[in-house]
Amino acid sequence: MKLKRGISLILAMLLTSSVLAAGCSATAKTTSAANDSLAKVKTAGTLILGLDSAFPPMGFMNDKNEIVGFDIDLAREVTKRMGVALKLQPIDWDSNVLELNSGNIDCIWNGFTISDERKAEVNFTDAYMQNRQVVIVRGDSGITTLADLAGKTLCLQAGSSAADALASHADFKASLKNVVELSDNVTAFMELEGKTSDAILMDEIVAAYYITQNNKDYKILDESLADEQYGVGFRLGDQSLRDEVNNQLKAMAADGTLAEISDTWFGKNVTVIK
Amino acid sequence: MNFNVSLVAMDYSSMVSFLLEGTVKAVELFFLTIVLSLPLGLLVARLRLSKIMVVQIPIKLYLLIMRGTPLILQLMFFMFFPPLVLGIPVDRFTVAVFSFTVNYAAYFAEIYRGGIESIPVGQQEAAYVLGLSPLQTFMRITLPQVVKRIIPTIANESMTLVKDTALASVIGVTELFRNAESMKATYFSVVPIAVAGLFYLIMNSVVAAFYSRVEKKLNYYKG
Repeated sequence: MKLKRGISLILAMLLTSSVLAAGCSATAKTTSAANDSLAKVKTAGTLILGLDSAFPPMGFMNDKNEIVGFDIDLAREVTKRMGVALKLQPIDWDSNVLELNSGNIDCIWNGFTISDERKAEVNFTDAYMQNRQVVIVRGDSGITTLADLAGKTLCLQAGSSAADALASHADFKASLKNVVELSDNVTAFMELEGKTSDAILMDEIVAAYYITQNNKDYKILDESLADEQYGVGFRLGDQSLRDEVNNQLKAMAADGTLAEISDTWFGKNVTVIK
Repeated sequence: MNFNVSLVAMDYSSMVSFLLEGTVKAVELFFLTIVLSLPLGLLVARLRLSKIMVVQIPIKLYLLIMRGTPLILQLMFFMFFPPLVLGIPVDRFTVAVFSFTVNYAAYFAEIYRGGIESIPVGQQEAAYVLGLSPLQTFMRITLPQVVKRIIPTIANESMTLVKDTALASVIGVTELFRNAESMKATYFSVVPIAVAGLFYLIMNSVVAAFYSRVEKKLNYYKG
């Protein structure tokens, strides 16, 4: 009996102290970090960018096994102007905010959609790119509108903003026979190719890239499910760092560099930052 | 069925070299874990068999938690708890080695304990009568027999470890599986995944062959 009481007391003490420690360190981080986040990066001489390196065309590996992408080119230009080096850190996308808050990375820059839920955890720059959640079907399927998808199978990437977009269109979702959640977009394309699924819901930017790169006879439906914007994500307290990157992006928009980079990747200017 | 449909023609040599980089990481993880967790497991087994409650109860708790929760969660815990709650920065690879080691040491500890308890206690009594100290008895009489008995089970765990190195991808370690996933996205093809599977098989064939040799060598007596 005494032993049990002793153990529960020790456990209670351990739990309380760890909760207190969490509280203390969290508040300490937000107040002091607000002003010195930019200084810290400048002192370190490097900005660490976290990405899922399997997300073409925003950030992915090319055939020389280097990490490249539209977001990477933007980041290189921004860090060049800031006078710091850029370090690319591949992370598991599901843990992106955890990696950010634990200090392993300084920013999330990988086709990161801005949303109200995410704004509560992440300090975003202004939106730099517009995107839509669209439906892709096989060219020969005869499907041209969302209504045509009634009774069909749709697949998408689990945990992506595509899943959120579908959830907010309850009627459309209910009209489908089946919604399949997959680990990534390449698997989704495999399902479409193998006719296991009839449609994919995903980012228009990524879809257009895949279709052009692989010369597939897929069609993107005109009706989109959600309009979204991409932003760069920073820790909630890192205001000075976020502002600096934001200003650099604006400067790049003003002097045409942003449009130039966009042209290289997409053939036109898809950026929206002013 | 078309697996490779990319206009970005698959550069096999660069794809394979990237997968080999990942394989080297996986092999490093494997060796470090084995070298650290086998001795640690033996220590834990010894402590588990201790009669002192203050020693036995925490050890039992450790064994329960390590074997009772998914390794993938343990990896994430050790990766994010120190920096977020304790404010201690951690290195990815070190976290992976640490997490694998404490997890596998728990399994090895129980394997050792099973082996130790299967040695007839009459041998211990005979050793005592002959004047051997408990340490000498353990090191010279018990342990050699235990090792011979548990080799097949240790081989099992080693082969599982080779495959478990893939889990380190959730904390961003660029080992074989993660690299294969990147290649899958680059070339829009599952061929890299199949090649990765082949690499895991080759690694495990080496492991299996090694343990088979060890078993043969230890077979100079039966039982």
